[in-house]
Order: sequence, then C-alpha cells, then structure tokens
Amino acid sequence: MTEAYYITAAELAKRSYDDLPDELNSSKHMIYSSPATLDFNSPGAKGFGVKRAGLAIPGSVMLLIAPGCCGRNTALLNELGYSERFFYLMLDDTDIVTGRYISKIPKACAQLLEELDTEPSVVMLCVTCVDALLGTDMERVCRACEDLTGVKTAPAYMYALTREERLPPMGLIRKSVYSLLEPQKRRSNECSIMGFFSALENDCELYSLLGSIGIKKIHELGRCKTFEEYQMISRSNFSLVLNSEARAAAQDMQSRLGIPFIELTRMFRISKIHNQYALLGQALGSELDDSEYLSRAETIVQTFKNNHPDAVFAIGESLNADSFELALALTEYGFRVAEIYGTVGERNFVFVKKLAELSPDTRIYSNLSPTMMNYEPLKEVTAAIGADAMYYHSDIAGIPFNEEQQPFGYRSVELLFDKLDKALSEKEGSAK
Amino acid sequence: MKKLLKHLSPLAPDDSGACSVLYEMGGVTVICDAGGCAGNVCGFDEPRWFTKRSALFSAGLRDMDAILGRDELLVKKLSMVCEQIDARFTAVVGTPVPAVIATDMRAIERMAEKRTGLACIALNTDGTNLYDYGEEMAYKRLFEEFVSDEYNTVKGRVGVLGATPLNTGELTADRIKEELSPEYGSDIICFGLDSGIDDVIRACECERIVVIAPSGLAAARYLNKKYNIPYDVRGCCIDKKALEAAKTLDGKKVLVIHQQFTVNALREQISGCEVTCGSWFKTVAAYKKENDVHIKGEDELVELVDNGSFDVIIADSFFRRALSTFEGQWIDLPHFAVSGRLNKDI
Repeated sequence: MTEAYYITAAELAKRSYDDLPDELNSSKHMIYSSPATLDFNSPGAKGFGVKRAGLAIPGSVMLLIAPGCCGRNTALLNELGYSERFFYLMLDDTDIVTGRYISKIPKACAQLLEELDTEPSVVMLCVTCVDALLGTDMERVCRACEDLTGVKTAPAYMYALTREERLPPMGLIRKSVYSLLEPQKRRSNECSIMGFFSALENDCELYSLLGSIGIKKIHELGRCKTFEEYQMISRSNFSLVLNSEARAAAQDMQSRLGIPFIELTRMFRISKIHNQYALLGQALGSELDDSEYLSRAETIVQTFKNNHPDAVFAIGESLNADSFELALALTEYGFRVAEIYGTVGERNFVFVKKLAELSPDTRIYSNLSPTMMNYEPLKEVTAAIGADAMYYHSDIAGIPFNEEQQPFGYRSVELLFDKLDKALSEKEGSAK
Repeated sequence: MKKLLKHLSPLAPDDSGACSVLYEMGGVTVICDAGGCAGNVCGFDEPRWFTKRSALFSAGLRDMDAILGRDELLVKKLSMVCEQIDARFTAVVGTPVPAVIATDMRAIERMAEKRTGLACIALNTDGTNLYDYGEEMAYKRLFEEFVSDEYNTVKGRVGVLGATPLNTGELTADRIKEELSPEYGSDIICFGLDSGIDDVIRACECERIVVIAPSGLAAARYLNKKYNIPYDVRGCCIDKKALEAAKTLDGKKVLVIHQQFTVNALREQISGCEVTCGSWFKTVAAYKKENDVHIKGEDELVELVDNGSFDVIIADSFFRRALSTFEGQWIDLPHFAVSGRLNKDI
C-alpha cells in the first residue's frame, strides 16, 4: 500500500504550474471522497453549494430537475430550514435518454406554485449533469415557465462535470442569483459587496472604512431579508468583489446595470492587507485610514507569538482562506507550517514559490489523491486549521475556520489568531 | 404529477445501494460520476464512511471525458489506484452520466480486467432507481462472479443477505446476529457487513441463507439454484421503541411503511388490528398480502392515507411532511434509506 503522496514546497516550486505532478492534478487520477473533502466532491453537499446558493434570493423556491441521486443529500438542508423551499421533479431512465421531461417542467412549476401560500419571488430551476450533456436550453425553459405561471424563473446549473471550466458551477450560480436585478438610478453613496452568499463578519473593518469615505449603504446578498431589499442592490454605485468566483456576476452587472467593480482578495499577511486598502482608497479617490486596524492586528499576532512561540501548523482547504496564502502568512510571522492539504491552482502557485523560500520542507498533499486513504498525521503538528486538517489531526488543537459569516481584511487575522489562541490554550490546559 | 415531490426529498438511489453492498468487500469501487454522486454516497447514504475505511472513489469525470467517451482514461486511472491501494477486485458503479452517454459497462469490465489483472464488476445503476435495485444488482453480480464451489458446507453456518445500513439502520452486524442467533445459532455471516469478499467466495460453506430484505432475494435464489443452499425470508432490526408501541395497539386500522420484510415482521407482532403494509421499494408478490401496497410517489402516499381511514401510521417520521393532514397516531419507524437516520439516532 502506497503512503499518502506529498511534495515539498521546494520541490513543487522548482516545477511550473503546467508541470504539476499527476497526484496534484485531479483530472489525472480517481478522486478520493475523503471525509475531509466532501465539500469539494459534492458541490451540493455542504456549506453553500449550488442548491443552497440558488436560494440566496429572498423569497425564492427551487425545483430540482434531476434523477433522485442528485437531490438525495438535500435532506441535509432540511435541518437548516429549507424543506419548504425545495421541490423535485424526478427523472427516470427514459427521461434522461430522451429528454422528454423538458416539456413537463412548466407544468411542474405551476403545480408547485399551487402548494405555496404566497407567491415566491423567483423559481430557481436547478439542473444537473444530465442537462449539461443533453445541452438543454435553460433560458428557453425558464421563459416557458414564466409564460405559464407569470412568476420569475431563473436557472441554477449544478454541472459538476464543468467544475474546472472557465465558468464553474459556483461562478454560474453567482451570476444567476444576481441576474434578477434590474437597472435603476445608481446612488453615489451606496455600494455592494459581492462574493459570498452570507454576509461579512459584523465587525469587519471594511464597513467602517467605507463609511469613513461617505458610503451610507452597503448592500450584501447575505443580509437581504426581502426581495425588495435584494432589488436595492442595483442602486449601488460600485461593487467590491471579494471572491473571484463572483467575477462573472460582477461583469454581468457591469454590462447590464452599468455598475463597475473592484476586486479585492482575502489575505492574512498584514502588510498586503494594508497595501490593498491603500490601492482601494486610490481607486475610490479617498484615502482609507486603516492605522487603527493595522495596529490591532499586529498586536494580536505578536501576542499569539508570545503565547505559542512553538506552534506548528497543518492547514487544510475547507476553510475561509486560501491555504497557501495563509501558510505563507504564518511562515512570514515566524511560525512553522508542516503540512498543507490543498489544491494548487494558477492563482496560488505564486504563494507556493514564496513559501518555498521561507519553508522549503512544508509538505503539500492533495486531499483528493486516493493515496490519502493511507495518510498518517505528522506528530510534530500542534494546531490544525480547517475542517479537513482537523479531520486528519483529530487529537490536537484545531479550528475549522469555516463559519458562514465571512472574515475579511484585518478582522480575518484577528479572528484567526483569537480562535487559535483559545484552541491551543484549551488543549494546553487540558494536557496539564 | 407523478414524479413531482412537493414535500419529500428523494429516497436513497440505486448507486448508493450498490456502494452499500460493496463497501466492506475489499475491492476498489469507482463511482462513474463527476463528483456529486460520490459526495451523496459518502456524505449521506453511507454512514460507515466515518467509521470504516473503504476504497471508494469518484471517477472525477469532466465534460470532455463524457463527450468524447474516454473509457480508456477511466481504466487508466483505475489501474493507477490499484497500484496504490491493495485491492481484491474492482467495481464500477454507474450514475446518470454514463447512462446519458450510453457507456458500455461490459466493455469497461473487460478493459479493466485486462489492465489490472483483477476481476471487475460494472453495475448499470443510473441514479434514477431506488437503492434496493442497486443492492440487488450488486449482490447478484458478486455471488455470480466470486462464489467458489471448492468449499464444503459447514454445519450450522448461516449467511445473511440484505444486511446493509440502508435496509437495517445498523452500522455493524451485532444486532442482526443477536436477533437471528436464537433461531439460527451463532455461526452467522452477514455478507457485506463486518464481512468481506472472502465470505462471498466461501458462501458454499453456508448451510442456509437468511434474507432480511427484498434486495437480497435474487442472490439467495441464485445460490439456491446453483449450489442448492436453502433460504428463509425474515425481517429483523425493527426499531425497539416502534416495536414496543406497535405491540400495544388493539382494534386499530394500521398502516406500516418500510422495506417489505421489515413491515411483514412488524405485522406479525401486531395483534387485533387491521394492518396494511406499504413500501416505496421492491415488493415481492410472494410475500405480499392482499391489501399491501407498493407506493410509487408522493401523491399516491397522500391518496392512500386520505382514503385509508387509518388510526395509526407506523413509518419514518420523514413522511409526515407529506401527510400533514393525518390526525391519527404516528409511531416513528426509522428507515435509513428514507431519512438517513440510524436506529441508534432515535
């Protein structure tokens, strides 16, 4: 039995992104559905997959049009209160070969509407690999549904087959959920934050910084309680895109609604956060004074270093961070990162190169490699970050850091080290 | 509309059933999908995923793999895994993707066997059928492929078919053995639950087979026909609270819903009542009573209850969502393939 495959940061940095070892390239091997990676392997399974994300529009309902297997795990979302908002049109084997079900979708929409006490804001039609392969024209199907029911209808493409395409399912669904916005007069003191289906963490400094330059109203999908609030998003003078998966949605809003956007990145290196705010200020034509937040973040990192100088980390990818950027940040702060379980992409290969200079021996694993069945945790690791890293290192201090409220900016640094401090102190306390 | 679910979510599909049977067999199992089906199996329908390790993988198909029908790539990836993981055989489980592109699963079998040197079984599940269909197919193929007639009957040995978490709500064979041992002795093997492929190979050592769910019946009939091993049909693992509550009923009109052999076993425990048994899953005519029903959809369930004048329903409480107007007594009878709840969760 082969031991779990890994490559060191130094070895990986010597290669180019186009020359990744097969074990780090998910198209070259079977995919291990490790308990640690179910988020990846089932886009509809946990967190905000396509199904849940499609219901981010207030007052929406969803009709999943698929074989039973595609909707099975939706039962998990019942626990989150979605049971009244999901409907299913089950396909049989003749359906998936002939596509005959397509003509039944408008009638199914009409029937589900009869079940509801109030008219939904939109019916999301969620389709799967079957329609990806059949090439179903969902725009046309949506129009047919609207003609019959008079209720807005939009597609939600749960095309797992296209996960590595230019516009993957989570990019497409972001485009879909903003597609119902209609043009209206923009207001110079309003903006929107895009990228996540839930809101930013309440104490994120971004709110105050935008407020300091005269922004009175910040629209976020995750804070919209009603469809009317959702519609207000198109009053934004500009959008801040905090997750690249929302780029296509922002581009669409720019062309349809005339709302320009600025992309920001979630980072954990304080100096880079400072630079990013400086650049944002320049783009908006006003200086953003982040000194208070910068100083607080620096203090928190230093305090953590004083409390846990010998912490050695394992970092996963089921978390609210880029695994490699976070590893680089921790390394720059003077900590050791022994292991990363992550997916190397074109965007984060640059972090691998920098990491190789500071921490050449850091081991990089792919969660998806079948060899991870044989993974044995490194004994020297003292803290795990990410739900997957916690799975692998179940007996040490760990934080999932994958909460629904999204961390950003200096606040993400503050939250990270605060949670780590608590977890490590608790573990150290219980060991005494 | 028959196939529209307005209150319920889908029940366990055939690919989950096939994987459930194969889970502890010691092979490399590949779900021929893009990732979502494997996520559904591992993250929801296979409760052993977090307690027992199994070489269960997703083929990780991408659109061009499907469009171009890259079977060779699938087999290449399978052989790579076989070099990394100790495997006794390989299995490929179908999903909607190979069904839409009409993948020749027999050809996959032959290509895989040639490349890996290991026996391969490829199962034509497509995610549109229910779990019992996939279980039945997997059991039958396993026994057809692997049983060796070199072994002689061992006195007192009993093999159990249908012992999966989806049927029984149990993660191990302990309770099944405990319930069957007074009648069948202590040498009991539950195929696929705390037992692997070696027990399948040595199935001829069984003096008798006990089938505890309809999904095991086809394999039992095969073993009977080919190796002359007799079989009994018997339900087991009825939730204890439900059983106690059912025993107290008297003079009531009762509807029981689960897999057929469980509802039949529960019916035997209820006296002085008019009992109708229903199942969403395979209903074998030979074990069905006159008023028993095979439920084909949500509307049929609602109609059955609306017109049935039942005083009591014994079924997974998951179904209550569709039966909100039912005002009688409800006794919860968990079924993992329905709600994803184990007996221990109740």
